[in-house]
Amino acid sequence: MTVRNRGALAAMAAGAAALTVAGLVACASRPAETVGAAEASALASATPTPAAPASAGTTGRVPVNTGTLPADATVPPTRLRVPAIGVTATVNPVGVNARTGEFDVPPSVDQVGWYRYGPGLEATTGSVVIAGHVDSAEQGKGAFFRLRELDRSDLLTVSGADGRERRYRVVAREEYAKTKIPLDRYFARDGRPRLTLITCGGPFDPKTRHYRDNIVVTAVPA
Amino acid sequence: MQLVSIRRVAAGGAVAALALAGGLATAATPAYAASSKVSVVHGIPDTPVDVYVNGKKTLDNFKPGDVAGPLSLPEGDYDIALTKPGEALDQAILKVDDAKVPGGANISLAAHLSADGKPQITPFVNDVSKVGAGKARLIVRHTAAAPAVDVRAGGQPVFQGLTNPKEAKADIDAGTVKADVVLAGTDTVAIGPADLTLKEGTATIVYAIGSAEDKNLKLVAQTISGLHSAPGGVPSGTGGQAGTGVQTWWYLLAGVGVLLLVVGGARVATVRTGRR
Repeated sequence: MTVRNRGALAAMAAGAAALTVAGLVACASRPAETVGAAEASALASATPTPAAPASAGTTGRVPVNTGTLPADATVPPTRLRVPAIGVTATVNPVGVNARTGEFDVPPSVDQVGWYRYGPGLEATTGSVVIAGHVDSAEQGKGAFFRLRELDRSDLLTVSGADGRERRYRVVAREEYAKTKIPLDRYFARDGRPRLTLITCGGPFDPKTRHYRDNIVVTAVPA
Repeated sequence: MQLVSIRRVAAGGAVAALALAGGLATAATPAYAASSKVSVVHGIPDTPVDVYVNGKKTLDNFKPGDVAGPLSLPEGDYDIALTKPGEALDQAILKVDDAKVPGGANISLAAHLSADGKPQITPFVNDVSKVGAGKARLIVRHTAAAPAVDVRAGGQPVFQGLTNPKEAKADIDAGTVKADVVLAGTDTVAIGPADLTLKEGTATIVYAIGSAEDKNLKLVAQTISGLHSAPGGVPSGTGGQAGTGVQTWWYLLAGVGVLLLVVGGARVATVRTGRR
């Protein structure tokens, strides 16, 4: 066997190795498959049950309320447990970043944020939204690092400020480009009661330090 | 309570006159006509009433401080009358004939005292446009027998010089504020202070009702929900450890691999051919 031939064989071996490694990386980097999208969408469009019939003192079906000043009766979630992905996280009530108008995800990546303007755990309609970091450049992996591994029928538990625990069952996991995600549907206050978990995912742009996509997990009371 | 002669509410421009009615929905209105949502606010102290719409009793013993509705009413003209509970329609204490309900609007009809203490009905068109994420809309309506007032939140005036029957409104950060009503330009508190919970994505409409002279001024609230907007996005990762895209240099590696295979394969083939 000539030296030339040996060199050519070595080049082929190196080429095959390079292809294999690149292929493995490509497979490992596949986006999370979307499951249950139709069910998540149906939850949002379901008409809420009609309000209770008008109280006594009315004729026909005209609802009458006392014009008392409104009070706040929201039950904030305080703790989230997702055994399937090893998550136990403190839930903080958060709002909107005044500068960007975006969801104010807690800066500490091991904590997650509940959208305090939307429904709380007491709500009989609408989407309770909890978002958390997938990771951060400074702090590493976040509470929702493995959110994209959640699958249908996984269970999660949310503790409320009222001391009660509520269990939810995952029905959908979706991935959307941030420019296309139907946020109105996930921040809805109508439709069936549900819990929506959101984090980042998809390809990462190292220049802007942003992910392209959002991962959205939808769960219903178990 | 004095008897009031028939008043006509002019329906000019966007201003709508009102009405309410349970079983009215099918009454003589084309099916394609747009409906409006109509609420009725009772702001006349000490005077429960029956409410008639087009001659039909719609609210029985409607109490001061209560808010009825919203009703979905087809666009059209309505006759509205208030009587003392149980009294006949021709004994009405307040009447509005041919009140116009436009299509597709959200209207509140306030029965209240004028600045000089006479019962009247004022239609208000409610602003139900969306509010920004994190915001709430506060609307204050002066429907009391009282002079001009300022409305303060946390001690700071937010609306000044409001007179009967006008409204003032603003979209402000959602949350709870301590609000009071003072005589315009003074620190003389007329109503409150009261804790006002302004829920995000709602319009909270506060009516000042009653009479300063009779010292029964108070607040009545009506809330319209569903005006919320979603936040602009959910930014929740800056690390890149969970990135699923295949980075450019992996493509390069694959390309080099293919190149090596081809070149190497060609060499092997050449050498074998040469030997033959």
